[in-house]
Amino acid sequence: MTFPRRAALPVLALTALTALALALTGCSKPQPVLHVYTWADYIQPELIRQFETQTGSRVVIDTFDSNEAMYAKIKAGASGYDLITPSSYMVSIMNREGLLRPLDHAKLPNLKNVDPEYLAIALDPKMQHSVPYMLTNTGIAYLKSKVPDFQASWSAFDRADLGRRVTMLNDMRETIGAALKFLGYSLNTTSDQELEQARDLVIRWKRNLAKFENEQYKSGLASGEFVMVHGYSGDIVQVQGENEDIAFAAPQEGTSVSCDDLVIPKSAKEVDLAHAFVDFLHDPKNAAANSEFIGYLCPNSASYPLLPEEFRANPAVFLDPAVRARSEVILDLGDENRKYTRVWDQIKAAD
Amino acid sequence: MKRSRVPLYTTIAVLVFFYLPVLVLVINSFNASRFSSGWEGFTLEWYRKLWGAREIWHALRNTLIVATVATTVSTVLGTTAAFALHRYTDRLQRLHYLLIYTPLVIPEILMGMSLLLFFVAIGFELGLTTIILSHVTFSMSYVTMTVLGRLQDFDWSLIEAAQDLGADWWTTIRRVLLPLLAPLSIDDFVITFFVAGPGSTTLPVRIYSMIKHGQPPLINALSTLLLVVTFATVWLSQRLMGDKR
Amino acid sequence: MAARAPRPGPAVPEGRRSRGAEWSVTLPSFLWLVALFVVPSVIVFAIAFKPATPYGGIGEGWTLETIRTLGNPNYPAIVWRTIWLSVVTTVACLLFAVPMGYFMARAPKRRQNTLLLMVIIPFWTSFLVRIFAWKMLLHPEGLLKRALVALGLAGPDTQLLYNPWAVLLVLVYTELPFAILPIYAAAEKFDFRLIEAARDLGASPFRAFRSVFLPGIRRGIVTAMLVTFIPALGAYVVPDIVGGPSSEMIGNKIAQRTFVDRNLPEASALSALLALAVLLPTFGVLVLNRGRDLLAPKSENSP
Repeated sequence: MTFPRRAALPVLALTALTALALALTGCSKPQPVLHVYTWADYIQPELIRQFETQTGSRVVIDTFDSNEAMYAKIKAGASGYDLITPSSYMVSIMNREGLLRPLDHAKLPNLKNVDPEYLAIALDPKMQHSVPYMLTNTGIAYLKSKVPDFQASWSAFDRADLGRRVTMLNDMRETIGAALKFLGYSLNTTSDQELEQARDLVIRWKRNLAKFENEQYKSGLASGEFVMVHGYSGDIVQVQGENEDIAFAAPQEGTSVSCDDLVIPKSAKEVDLAHAFVDFLHDPKNAAANSEFIGYLCPNSASYPLLPEEFRANPAVFLDPAVRARSEVILDLGDENRKYTRVWDQIKAAD
Repeated sequence: MKRSRVPLYTTIAVLVFFYLPVLVLVINSFNASRFSSGWEGFTLEWYRKLWGAREIWHALRNTLIVATVATTVSTVLGTTAAFALHRYTDRLQRLHYLLIYTPLVIPEILMGMSLLLFFVAIGFELGLTTIILSHVTFSMSYVTMTVLGRLQDFDWSLIEAAQDLGADWWTTIRRVLLPLLAPLSIDDFVITFFVAGPGSTTLPVRIYSMIKHGQPPLINALSTLLLVVTFATVWLSQRLMGDKR
Repeated sequence: MAARAPRPGPAVPEGRRSRGAEWSVTLPSFLWLVALFVVPSVIVFAIAFKPATPYGGIGEGWTLETIRTLGNPNYPAIVWRTIWLSVVTTVACLLFAVPMGYFMARAPKRRQNTLLLMVIIPFWTSFLVRIFAWKMLLHPEGLLKRALVALGLAGPDTQLLYNPWAVLLVLVYTELPFAILPIYAAAEKFDFRLIEAARDLGASPFRAFRSVFLPGIRRGIVTAMLVTFIPALGAYVVPDIVGGPSSEMIGNKIAQRTFVDRNLPEASALSALLALAVLLPTFGVLVLNRGRDLLAPKSENSP
């Protein structure tokens, strides 16, 4: 029971570290604190500092790595978050469950800048409880030097010549959706037969994969660990800055388009400050800076002219109209979600 | 008599196995290459970036608060329990022993899961408090078992004075428990991941997100710093306490 | 985690103090564990009998539906993988830890301290960081891979990461210190003159090791087995980071049910199953071990 008895006592260093950390982060003045719950690296840090100075507040950011994880937390009663950035389908679930606060448009003058073309297909076109924040679509990114004869099609995942240095998203709707699109079906299908075909297809693809991955594919691609990945366009734009060998393509069969929205939960404590932050993010200058930093597109028409030419020409930012016509927004399927869960379990268990 | 060389070779192999990855990590923290795939020159850039990464310092602060409070509370509770288990031998204590023992053999993921459901069921707000409560729950049993082990090794027939018992208790706490408990609390990821709430992200949760999100150089730099702090602490406390033999 | 050694029964006869004194030292920990361990566990078992709602809630009424989902045809593969990975991890840890514990215990006092520190220090660095270090090391463009390819031990397309072997390697790496510590603690108390005596009687070194040393440190070995096997059964982070598309373990499934599928009842049912799977063998070992101790009471505690 007494094995490391000679190991020594770290209390001194602990105390010193505590003091250091408190000095670094603690603040003596009472300031309003805005708790933002969002994806990692999803707001330009400069903007946060600017907002803090303008409003004399402090912004604390917590991150989630899936809508479901975030939802589980909120549904479980985690209160204290003032602003959240879920994807649209999750916004409609949260709204249906009564977790969101209606927005006060009087406090949001910048909403006039929001792209009407996007609003036309949005799930909350009147922005009653959500404001679109960042648009993205999924697609395939690859290293030009390592993937010869790349075709912009989901069939790329059938290639066995890439040494299993390939990943697909660890997200049942996206990955099963990719297979459904390849088969020519809707990615919101609830047909058992179509889902079974998609399942068999993903199981076949799986033999060429290193893993199902939502996050590490970015650094993996940039470092050459992976040579082809299924991922979000915005993430790819981010890593393109680090490795010029990376190219992005939206598969010709169509793909999923998604939007993350800004919402204020019912349980928010700093409601006014949260409104102020939403408005701040839709200021055209800030929206442009944010789009450029994140690599997604903030659907803010007034900000488009402020974006650099190169950025505007990137196919990962503005989707090709023909592909866009074949693409869909992922909808929440309610009870039918179970079908996807079952198929996903089968895919993961298959050898 | 000639001794077998197998134990020596095994020991060397294990130490190489232990330190090789750590060494690679330390070297890469000074590597200019962002993805550590080859040596691209010496840099302190990552340490500079680390200094400016305030979420990390915030997480460190949370971690230290949790570790300090949880270690203190579990030491007091666990020692009391060990004393009870040692002193009395009735049915109540048998049940008590079972209650203390079971958390030790439950995988962390189960504890995280059940505590999350519990806090949700009673409507307790997730945050630093829930993390601390959870940490005390799993570290208390370690304290009890360790102190109990010590009490049982103790030769009661020779000792009369209570202060000797006290002195031994303090030695146990200092030399056995704290080195065990502190990393237990500082390093716990799984349970914290389940019961963390707004603003209560701890260092391991932050590191996890950094690994997933891909900021290798920052993790390398942070780990090297942690290693240096560990070495320094161990060395210092060895010097300060000496080996009284 | 290293402190997981069972210590049966108190050694001192019941004191003459009043019941009041007993309650006052028993109640704090007792109530704490009832509130934060027993009640949450009961909740988990209870929720396993509740229906799930599609939005992550817990439905009204009671059902056996969730328990039936444990018959999911996809589970046996995951359970089997979890068990073999955990067993192999435990065996591998013991294979390294026993000779190392032996070596440490026989070393001069000063070197014992140094060796012990060298074992503890990696355990003092973050668990996640150690996993991450392996991810770097096994990188397809990394050092190890290049060395292996140069030696002709691996082809250019061999994937070192993202397969069950990588999971196994990193599990052994993270659990090994916990196996070494209790074995060393037991070996340190072992009277090595017994081995010399066996050798004098003509036993081969291996025979002396097997029939004198191993039984002498039995308790350390049992502890080492428990502290490596149980965390391995519940492993979640290691397969998540270095595992591939077919390296899922039970822990990953529980996390998926909780955070991705939002199906708390199924997560609870799986958790309850895992809890039973862990508790039954553990208490079996505990009872067995205690039985043997009764037969040979003071054998290994003498300094």
